[in-house]
Amino acid sequence: MSDRITIMLDGRPVEVDAGVLLIQAAQDAGTYIPRFCWHPRMNPVGMCRMCLVEVEGPGGTMLTTSCTVPVSEGMVVHTASETVKKAQEGVLEFLLINHPLDCPVCDRGGECPLQDQTMAFGPGESRYVEEKRHFEKPIPISDLVMLDRERCILCARCVRFSDDIAGDPLIEFLDRGNYTQVNTFADEPFASYFSGNTVQICPVGALTATPYRFRARPWDLEAVESVCAGCSVGCRVSVQSSQNEILRLLGVDVEATNHGWLCDKGRFGFQHLAAPDRLTTPLVRGEDGELHEASWSDALDRAARGLAAIVDSSGEGAVAGLGGSRSTNEEALAFERLMRHTIGTPHLDAAMGDALDARLLAAAPRRGLIGDLEQASTVLVWGPDLREELPVLYLRVRRAVAELGAGLVVVHPRASGLDTIADHVVRYRPGEGGALLARLAAGDGDLAEVRSALDDGPVVAIVGRTGLTEDGDLAGAVAGFAAELPDASVLAVSRRSNLYGAIDMGLAPGMGPGRVGEDPGRDADGIVEGLRDGSVKGLVLLGADPAGDHPSGTAGDALSRAEFVVSIDLFINDSNRGADVVLPAAGFAEVEGTMTNLEGRVQKVNRLVPAPGQARPANEILADLADRLGGKWESSTAESLASDIATLVPYADVSWEALDRGTGGDGILARGGDVVYSVPTVSTSVGNGMALHLGRVLYDRGTALMMDPSLAKLTQKPVLHLHPDDASSLGVAVGDQVRVSGSDGSAEVDAAVDPSLSPGVVYLPFNLGVSVGSDPSVTVEKVT
Amino acid sequence: MSWPDDVVERAEVMVAKYPESRSAVMPLLYLAMREDKGLTLDGMRQVADYTGLTPVQVESVASFYSMYKRDSVGDYIVSVCTSISCHLLGGDEVLEAVAEETGVPPGETGSDGRLSVEGVECIGACGGAPAVQVNYELVEGVTPDSARRLCRWLADDQPVVISSDQMQADFGGIRSFEWGPAEPGGATGPVPAFGPLGTEGQRS
Ligand code: SF4
Ligand code: SF4
Ligand code: FES
Ligand code: FES
Repeated sequence: MSDRITIMLDGRPVEVDAGVLLIQAAQDAGTYIPRFCWHPRMNPVGMCRMCLVEVEGPGGTMLTTSCTVPVSEGMVVHTASETVKKAQEGVLEFLLINHPLDCPVCDRGGECPLQDQTMAFGPGESRYVEEKRHFEKPIPISDLVMLDRERCILCARCVRFSDDIAGDPLIEFLDRGNYTQVNTFADEPFASYFSGNTVQICPVGALTATPYRFRARPWDLEAVESVCAGCSVGCRVSVQSSQNEILRLLGVDVEATNHGWLCDKGRFGFQHLAAPDRLTTPLVRGEDGELHEASWSDALDRAARGLAAIVDSSGEGAVAGLGGSRSTNEEALAFERLMRHTIGTPHLDAAMGDALDARLLAAAPRRGLIGDLEQASTVLVWGPDLREELPVLYLRVRRAVAELGAGLVVVHPRASGLDTIADHVVRYRPGEGGALLARLAAGDGDLAEVRSALDDGPVVAIVGRTGLTEDGDLAGAVAGFAAELPDASVLAVSRRSNLYGAIDMGLAPGMGPGRVGEDPGRDADGIVEGLRDGSVKGLVLLGADPAGDHPSGTAGDALSRAEFVVSIDLFINDSNRGADVVLPAAGFAEVEGTMTNLEGRVQKVNRLVPAPGQARPANEILADLADRLGGKWESSTAESLASDIATLVPYADVSWEALDRGTGGDGILARGGDVVYSVPTVSTSVGNGMALHLGRVLYDRGTALMMDPSLAKLTQKPVLHLHPDDASSLGVAVGDQVRVSGSDGSAEVDAAVDPSLSPGVVYLPFNLGVSVGSDPSVTVEKVT
Repeated sequence: MSWPDDVVERAEVMVAKYPESRSAVMPLLYLAMREDKGLTLDGMRQVADYTGLTPVQVESVASFYSMYKRDSVGDYIVSVCTSISCHLLGGDEVLEAVAEETGVPPGETGSDGRLSVEGVECIGACGGAPAVQVNYELVEGVTPDSARRLCRWLADDQPVVISSDQMQADFGGIRSFEWGPAEPGGATGPVPAFGPLGTEGQRS
């Protein structure tokens, strides 16, 4: 707890935290000082002068900007004196000199700080009669953001965000004085993964987001708080809709997770919910081999008959379940019940062979919190490129390093988002991580400095799969190493949104609900293998697309050999196109429940809009299916499943009620449970030839993303990146076609040069439409 | 696209002078401007590469200062001060004389691309008014007549190196104060950032 001091605020003594800025202290004490440029999550600049107050001092009483002055004991402050009022009126009159006042056609109208504060603190009338300055009305500064420079009040919030917070300084003030404008470089758009935040924090309608422009008026919007389902960071959002259609997501400031920020994938990734291709009726494969619309009861009957037939002929173990990592905990628990108890198979996995050992995710040694980054002296990131996979966690690491001064060690096969602020960057060849870890642990040669940097605790280690050709056990070994570092906290990370919750609900082989041991079963790799060799015949997919998501790239082929496939999903995708029964499920903001983020934080997700057509919440579908398979479930509604969840040890404190009001916006941590993770040892085989790094990019060709018109256009075409030496020895120039052949196929793609790779390593982004398998060893040749 | 070797070498010397490479942005902008006769997108991109800034950050600096020209300019930029001291002592006449002698109206660049003429606000040499700059190298105590001679010199001799001292000796009059000595052998001239445009031609 920080020290408290007393200041005189408008004549009353108030106790405030020592050292905070006056504007913040006043707000904590219930006095709102108007502001434009100051933002509680960014450093003050004192640019707009709206926050002027009078502070008494030895030299007399002076107007000063309350956003730049820290409080001190006995400070005497006037926030509403005549002088202050005059100053506020003056500032507003100035700000409005060049403001177009086109509120009636401005997206911000109705929720605009400039509007509001002009009404509250402004002079009511302007003396300015001359011509205002003019700019071309909105210009696109990226695919997602439009800029109206006439409306801009030059507060620099967007500029500061892009530079200080996001590390993408692609918008700046250009020109000077009366001509100052915000803009981008002529041919370099504001292509930041975080651009949408600037729209949210712009205090006027200068920045607008293309998906929301002219779609609604703030007073027509309905809103609920929920959790972004884009990845496992679990950013808190306000979901807003009009006429039952979701129109935008705004970040909600939660200390534990997102600090108010969102990535663009999370912010704009909602349009698929209203996509015309959304499934709205059950589909059943007919005699003609095509999927036909069917009634719920026919479809469920058919699904139950098909699964029962396989159990009858080949036993329970011939049925497997994949998915649930995009579902709520309640839906995931229902899926676990159906698979493990009603059907009786141990083969179920929420991951797609692309994650880490479920035990590591649920019970990493010295499991840490995102918030531990605030105290970290050193951060070790040996895992995915956080900017591509867990964008807001990337922002939190950036803050820890760039703002709070922690040291940073990044280990990755190629340049990653954090490199520019890292103290040590270590590169390696995929497949040889084990040897690197041994050398790092020993502080060998060139790694001595890195090793000693890691002795500066508290250390926060973020471990995960650097790429999909990487052995998942490597992250476990790194976690084991990191756990021994001083004051270590370990975050074992994997991307998919509610993967952690799904695992806690028992959607992992050998692990039941509440992180208890269960009979061993097949994981996703094993299930795909079983489909291939015929030992798995029936499959239930819950929001899962192994054909697109399994790293081998060949799960689709394995799936086509299944005898019977039931898919519960929002869309037709490569995995359920050949399914026997496809059941339409409700999605994000269409169901109520909970989700668990990568640190085990449980948060409430809420329903705002009805699911389209006949789509239903997955737990209800699963319960109906169970019913037809002879399962007698006591609970099938989300509420009743939620109370079942509260009986699981780690979730003992978690109830919807507590989440909705009691404990506040930070959610509730679900920690503990029986499961113990034993750190594996990894062996290294030094490969010959080329090693493939299969890394993820934020905008990949996932089904939902491709159904989001705003995001789909941001996906890039796949390019194979080569070290310049390899490129020249292969005679390949940038843009040439190369053929890359791996364990499961080959593909012809354009080549690019990437000097950050080690020689002998090539990089191919995953899930951009080409796949060559997930073995690190590949061959590359020029296509002539 | 990319700079010739000698310019690259100079850029590297400049960057090396600063503890943070981004601090070299201003002198590098002069270099880029000289190279392309005005700042081009390419030039700003080059500066961004050397400084580790993004191009828009470079443009932000470049567009803040009026002495960085984003329109194309001639080999010589003749800037005549028309602010108060110079105005009182005949700066306007000097500007007129320059315009007439060169045939280039203030604010424009001659059709042969050799020379740009501009009237500017105070260039900090009020004590030696009227003052003129050629490529931002100063000459003080200029008369309409000596300005004409200066213009003819530029046209006839086409000097590679513009040096304040030389211009002052040949065309100047009263001087406001003595400039500090040039840094021997350094990458910069008497006015650090301006080196690349003039005095620093003779770096050995
Ligand atoms: S665009 Fe908005 S956020 Fe950016 S400087 Fe202008 S008013 Fe501020
Ligand atoms: S970081 Fe993840 S949870 Fe946060 S907004 Fe982005 S996708 Fe959503
Ligand atoms: S809020 Fe303090 S100057 Fe802008
Ligand atoms: S007025 Fe001309 S130099 Fe100052």
